[in-house]
Amino acid sequence: MQSKMKESDPILEVENLSASTDNLPILKGVSLTVYPGEIHAIMGRNGCGKSTLSKIIAGHPSYTITNGEIKFLGENINSLEPEERSQSGIFLGFQYPIEIPGVSNLEFLRVSTNARRKFLNKEELDTFDFEELVKEKLEIVKMDQAFLSRSVNQGFSGGEKKRNEILQMALLEPKIAILDETDSGLDIDALRIVASGIKRISNAQTGIILITHYQRLLDEIEPNYVHVMSDGQIIKTGESDLALELEKKGYEWTDNFIKET
Amino acid sequence: MEIIEKIKTNKSIDNQTEIQKICLDKLQSSPLPNPRSEQWRLSNKSKLSNFLDYSVNENNSKFDIPYPKNSQSTIRLIIGENCQIKLIEKNYSIRQLSEDELQKYIKEQISCFNQNENWSDLLNLSLSCKNNILGLKINGSKIPPIEIFSYASSNSLNAKTLIIFLEKNCNVELLQVNLGKENSSLSQSTFFCLEENSSLNHGVVSYGVNKSNLLNSLNVIQQKNSEYNLGSLHFKFNYARFEIRIKQSEGNAKTNIKGMQITKKDEQISTYTKIYFDGPNGFLDQINKSLADDKSHAIFEGSIIVPKIAQKTDASQLSRNLLLSNRAQIDTKPQLEIIADDVKCKHGATISQLNEEELFYMRTRGITLTEASKLQLSSYFQEIISFIPVSKDRWNLLDKLLNEN
Repeated sequence: MQSKMKESDPILEVENLSASTDNLPILKGVSLTVYPGEIHAIMGRNGCGKSTLSKIIAGHPSYTITNGEIKFLGENINSLEPEERSQSGIFLGFQYPIEIPGVSNLEFLRVSTNARRKFLNKEELDTFDFEELVKEKLEIVKMDQAFLSRSVNQGFSGGEKKRNEILQMALLEPKIAILDETDSGLDIDALRIVASGIKRISNAQTGIILITHYQRLLDEIEPNYVHVMSDGQIIKTGESDLALELEKKGYEWTDNFIKET
Repeated sequence: MEIIEKIKTNKSIDNQTEIQKICLDKLQSSPLPNPRSEQWRLSNKSKLSNFLDYSVNENNSKFDIPYPKNSQSTIRLIIGENCQIKLIEKNYSIRQLSEDELQKYIKEQISCFNQNENWSDLLNLSLSCKNNILGLKINGSKIPPIEIFSYASSNSLNAKTLIIFLEKNCNVELLQVNLGKENSSLSQSTFFCLEENSSLNHGVVSYGVNKSNLLNSLNVIQQKNSEYNLGSLHFKFNYARFEIRIKQSEGNAKTNIKGMQITKKDEQISTYTKIYFDGPNGFLDQINKSLADDKSHAIFEGSIIVPKIAQKTDASQLSRNLLLSNRAQIDTKPQLEIIADDVKCKHGATISQLNEEELFYMRTRGITLTEASKLQLSSYFQEIISFIPVSKDRWNLLDKLLNEN
């Protein structure tokens, strides 16, 4: 899909991926390769398969891969469980982060961080050491410590939930982060905090896939590549100016590409 | 059913007290509850029969309390272990009821018994000897938390009875622990009378081991301006039945109930509640949770009765259930009987499975399916466990439910 020749190995390779749920085809041959240091944006109408693609990469059990493969750091991960994918460095930021009443955010973050650390052969953190680490990371998303003692996402505003997602990303230090409409429901200030958090966490070794409808997130985080999805396929790939053109012309403009394909 | 044969002949139990005689007489004509009655139709007949198969044991074997007392101020009593208590302190007093007081109260209760509805109490009082009846009268304030234990010995049927009067303006925290041993049956009947302005935070934690059985009956009378809070938990019984009957005798009282039963393997645990408002301005907030796994069976039947006199009653009863296996069974039936026309009453029931989206969310954070399920269950349990008073942390209830059960 990408035209440039890369020097390092790709982090993620999605090759001709088709998937269905309840025998209903959702993805119809998606290919996408992400190299270290790259930021990809995926845009498209509601229901075109963007979120499904992110869930399938993360291992959602409701979807069946009918063709193609997903390779992470060169290994086929089609049959890995979601937790194995997460532990090995795949992060999915949810469009609608789930509330888990009765489970403290601090403990949830600690358990998930330790699962990743264990995979990386790093020492697992006890409550005290973890509190030190999480305090550092809270600063990235400008969150108050009070959020830690509350139940996971319960009673959080939309913006707080999204910041909590980025906090998790900061703690898990993934190799690749897929952020599904992280910008939806955010006011301008919250968007800037979230965008700056993403920029601070990403580096030359990590890859990011931003799923979004709006240019405003891409104003803050400039992508290397923009992909347009329609009906379970990537119908066009370009550089960051593609998003600007899309913003100007709307998705109707992309219908021409479908006719062409 | 050894005990039923004895009741039929009414010869083998010697040295009967007057109460035992009255109850045995009542049981003699129809020693078993009507299996077609609403209260018993779902009850597993062979498990009930197994409950009644053990010989009655009036002598209590040595009881090892599972946890040491964590605080000197907690009062700990074990029914059947000749517990003599007479505490007269500056702010409060706890004394045992006299024989006459016990007899009088129990006879009054029996006179109102209905054969099917109170069968568990009739059986209990027909078997419970003097040593196994603990009666207390409590008054005053700043009363230390109380723990009361009942237990069944292996290979026997034990009957224990607890009667407590809370006098006016008295506030008490009481944790009642019912423990079953291997191959045992425990019949526990409890009677509380809450006088005006008194309040009782009551916890009931009942758990057994292999093939433990339990018939646990709780009868509460609330006078006006009293408050009764009950947090209960029943698990690990081959067969257990928790019957709650609460009467707000003059209305103007508050009742809060949060109960849970957990069934696994082929266990059957049921909860029956009957809340009767016999006066105006009564309040009830009740939630009952069931969790059924493997091929077990959990039952909840709750009724709220609001006669004409009980105007301005505000009552809510919810039954929330979690089905963890395709072969498990949950029956739930919250119901209202309302005659009064100016009341606010609601009831509802839900049966669901573990939330898959929550599980997926946790798994995308590296948490295994097993751990994610435990986290989800712990959140389901917390609401009930946090309502159980007296040293609940020390009892590691959550750990017991998630890891030992």
